[in-house]
Amino acid sequence: MAELHLQSHRLQNLWQKARELPLLPIGVLLIVFIIPALFAEVIAPHDPYVPNLRARLQPPVFFGGTWDYMLGTDRLGRDILSRILHGAWYVLAVSMIGIAVGVVVGTTLGLIAGYARGWFDGLVMRLVDISLALPAMLLALALAAAIGASFLSVVIVVGFALWAYFARQVRAEVLLLRNSDFVARSQVAGASHLRILFRHILPNVMNTIVVLATLQVGIAIMLDASLSFLGIGIPRPTPTWGLLVSDGRDFIATDWWISFFPGLAILLTVMAANMLGDWLREQLDPRQRQI
Amino acid sequence: MLKYLSRRIASSLFALLVITFIVFLLTQLSGSPVDALLPDDATQEQIDSFIREWGLDKPLWQQYLTFLGNAAQGDFGTSLKWPGQDAMGFVLDRMPATLELGGLAILMSVVIALPLGVAAAVYKGGSIDNGAQIFALVGQSMPSFWLGIILIWVFSVWLGWLPTSGMGSFSHAILPAIAIAWFQISALARLTRSAMLEVLDVEYIKLARVKGVSEWSVVWKHALRNAAVVPLTYFGILAASILTGSVVIETVFSWPGMGWVAIEAIRGRDFPVVQAVIIAYAVIYMISNLVVDLLYVVVDPRVRHG
Amino acid sequence: MFYRDLYIKCTPKRLLAAVLLSGTVLTAGGLTNTASAEEKVVVAVSPLGADSNLYWATTGAFIFPSMQTLVGNDAQTGKYDNSQLAESWEHNEDFTSWTFKLHPAAKFSGDWGPVTAADVVHSFNLHIGEDAKLSGISNFRKMEITAVDDHTVRFDLPNPTPNFLFSHAGRGSLVIYSKAQFDAEGLAGYEAAPAGSGPFEYKEREVGQSLTFSTIADHWTGVSPEFDEIEFRWVSEPSTRLAMLSAGEAHAVTLPRDLQDDAAEAGQKVLSSSEGAMQSTMLFTGQFMNPEAEENRDARTYAWADQRVREAVNRALDRDAILEVLYGEGVRALPVYTMDPRFPGFSEEIAKGFDDAYGYDPEKAMALLAEAGYPDAFDTPEIPLVVTSLAGNPEFAQMAELVQAYLDVVGIKTQMREQDWATGNTAIRGFTADFVTPMRNAPVRPSALGVQIFFTKHASPHLDIGDPELNDLGGKLISETDPAARDEVLKAMFTRIFDSYAHIPMATVPASVVVNGDLVEGWNFPGASSSGLSHYHLIDLK
Repeated sequence: MAELHLQSHRLQNLWQKARELPLLPIGVLLIVFIIPALFAEVIAPHDPYVPNLRARLQPPVFFGGTWDYMLGTDRLGRDILSRILHGAWYVLAVSMIGIAVGVVVGTTLGLIAGYARGWFDGLVMRLVDISLALPAMLLALALAAAIGASFLSVVIVVGFALWAYFARQVRAEVLLLRNSDFVARSQVAGASHLRILFRHILPNVMNTIVVLATLQVGIAIMLDASLSFLGIGIPRPTPTWGLLVSDGRDFIATDWWISFFPGLAILLTVMAANMLGDWLREQLDPRQRQI
Repeated sequence: MLKYLSRRIASSLFALLVITFIVFLLTQLSGSPVDALLPDDATQEQIDSFIREWGLDKPLWQQYLTFLGNAAQGDFGTSLKWPGQDAMGFVLDRMPATLELGGLAILMSVVIALPLGVAAAVYKGGSIDNGAQIFALVGQSMPSFWLGIILIWVFSVWLGWLPTSGMGSFSHAILPAIAIAWFQISALARLTRSAMLEVLDVEYIKLARVKGVSEWSVVWKHALRNAAVVPLTYFGILAASILTGSVVIETVFSWPGMGWVAIEAIRGRDFPVVQAVIIAYAVIYMISNLVVDLLYVVVDPRVRHG
Repeated sequence: MFYRDLYIKCTPKRLLAAVLLSGTVLTAGGLTNTASAEEKVVVAVSPLGADSNLYWATTGAFIFPSMQTLVGNDAQTGKYDNSQLAESWEHNEDFTSWTFKLHPAAKFSGDWGPVTAADVVHSFNLHIGEDAKLSGISNFRKMEITAVDDHTVRFDLPNPTPNFLFSHAGRGSLVIYSKAQFDAEGLAGYEAAPAGSGPFEYKEREVGQSLTFSTIADHWTGVSPEFDEIEFRWVSEPSTRLAMLSAGEAHAVTLPRDLQDDAAEAGQKVLSSSEGAMQSTMLFTGQFMNPEAEENRDARTYAWADQRVREAVNRALDRDAILEVLYGEGVRALPVYTMDPRFPGFSEEIAKGFDDAYGYDPEKAMALLAEAGYPDAFDTPEIPLVVTSLAGNPEFAQMAELVQAYLDVVGIKTQMREQDWATGNTAIRGFTADFVTPMRNAPVRPSALGVQIFFTKHASPHLDIGDPELNDLGGKLISETDPAARDEVLKAMFTRIFDSYAHIPMATVPASVVVNGDLVEGWNFPGASSSGLSHYHLIDLK
């Protein structure tokens, strides 16, 4: 009887959790970001790459344009909507892979540094210092000049810009955890360091990582945009959102739609990702206050 | 305290050394300055004499050691793009412009974000809170160059209130400072809010209220002082991101600071200046972090680093 | 509770006050910053490659309006004239000796006295120094200069140089500095404020920001600009420059072509140079026409080593459409890059045959490709297209994008390579370039110079396309002095380039500048300088 009661309580909990899910940001992320990223080929009304010189600079539909080009066209007559939809995949890929690089490198180093302490800890913290002291933008410029701007160079820069935050945060958590009872108990019980790290400590810092990673989506997308602004983002003609905004920036005052809609896509996606991150943080880790 | 300080400085110097190495390698990899600085139809003879003049024909390690030795004395060579200018001197000349902009941006961030964050926390769930949250979210979600250009069009061209670009009177600094500060305001306001929420919940604050201490003083004296530690730790990051932000914003507003120099120098393959500017950035970052750490100790005597 | 209310009431009021106060301050600040028409003309352009008062230490992209060269260009026609320091000139029969007579009235600003032959010799020696980065300087190093008398200088050249005036006019290989100032103050004097003989006087420099010149009253040429000062501002963002123009902060700005259209729609005026200022093209790199393998690499493996592929590439492009997008209406297609009706070697025949040989014909292109066995018969069928931006040529990025789209239609495989100008140039100079890249010829060089630079081994070996016939003709051109014979050789060269589809010619484009229609009436400039701009004294204010 007691067992049953507990179970129904759990179910209720889950239901409550589900009802509290932030539908707005999740919906926005799906509509603006995820679905376009995965299904652009199917949804996009036009080819995002092929210029149509007869349809240059068409305004959006409610500003004198036609439904054919709902969000207008750019200087080469390419459909803005299709470009945004196709661009979503690249934005998704850059932010996900970049963050993954940051998470893997940062978490691994942070875990070991916090657990092992000693010289390795010192080294990692110096590396964190160094990486924070080198402006990502300057590194990106130098890197782009050195190996050429490419998908790879952008991912490297994003990963480089983010790993230190993970490393620092994870290390701080590990420092607290390693002195806790259960770690001491495991050590007494003869568990190997690796086992302790990955079975006992890692799960406990997972929440932090998930929250931080969600909040970094915005930073990754913005960084990608800034790189495009400086002309060292993912090369043309790949329609990443950063490139679209930056390509249209000269025309903000006249053909505003070229950069406005990609900018809106960035705005909505980053806002939604941040809201989701906030929500996750409140659910998983109310203590944590990292930006 | 002194021991702590000297250890911090030593580790900063080590970090600097590594940075010089990275910077040197990257600039070496990034194409020849010959092509950025000689005209399209330069002859081989011109190219050769240029390479000799700048020591580009020596082995890399030799170039690095020479570079390091000179750098230690503050000599980064002469600028290629601004002939006759000493590289580090040139960068340092531009530093006040960046500090002015960064300082104004930090000032704006603090003056707006702290009250906003406190108000949002005090009236949690109210319209100020919601407004502040939305403001913060929007600020964190816009590419800064986009914001910068929109600001120029709205405030300079359409309203005609402020100059579009360049440096001169105080009014020139306002738009770029806003463009840099907006993101920071968002971040700082959110941080302050969450820190305040936590502190306002603590027993002694409740006790103070019960004892009849005025709400004003509870919020602004007791709670904020304790909550301030959190935003303060953020200042290290703030300084770094303002410096980074200045790279893009200074380009948009053609504000002749260090960020502007960095872009122009990298585009022009002006190695000496690129190296000088990155090192200068790193030093500013490290000093500001050091200061934050010290302030940290001052504001919260309980915190001691060991 | 009371205090909480107070807090709410208090804050908005204070806030309001602060906003109002700052608003007032800003408005006042904003007003003082608007350019006022009578006093100072502000011209905003993208930043220079090298920023120095020592002209020979720059790439020659900008001649200060305070400085003069020996030869001028007519504002209307661009023809050489004596509006600068030389009053007249003559040359011997085989173009190896040129003598210039200076205007006797010419004098330097400040109290540095008249411009004499000694100043020319002095400047010449500065220009050929170690730190010179100027175009064409290597040729100067081979010549001798003699001061014949106070106002006469003679240049003796090792080779016949019929185009010698070009170096002394808009291209500006030699700018005349004051020897008297050098003797008194040294280079430091130039670095602080170089004296010049132009209608403006150097006033001040804000490093990286601006350069200001003030107008000279009673200038020796009789030129009298209708404003007191002219300020050049370096602003790298085009949208910021447009904003400056729209806000009335700048009188004139340079803008990318498509932003000019927008500016024109918004009521600003676009002024174009009277003559073509720049030729653009896309060049195949490597010695792809060399029958033998090169030492450094073998460009014969590139897809464009096959003439049918080159013709297909040219046939695949709808030039009218592309040029309209890149340069607006009314810009003419260019039959052969470096050929120009203003200079010897221009072939009417080639110009007429252009549509037949290079006209838009995707079917022909596909047939040619099929005939060549493209892509299967090629080791590297993919053609890398360089996307790059170059100060003054923001359209290069779009050019590559458009070309790619058209090549895609006929089935030519391409790959976009986004790289900055310097990286591309490093590859070209290092003889490792394996791409198709945009290129420009600005100011339009005399054909005999241009064709040697961009197609043969004689001027810039790294741009040599390796064709033995062209190199032979180029060799002939160097020693030939008879104008009629030179014309024939040049025509033969252009015909060879044209017939073998050795490049992808684009257009001849005038230089243009956008002016604020409320402040500026007009401005005549010939487009004969590197930046395309000159003749600042002719800026006509409302």
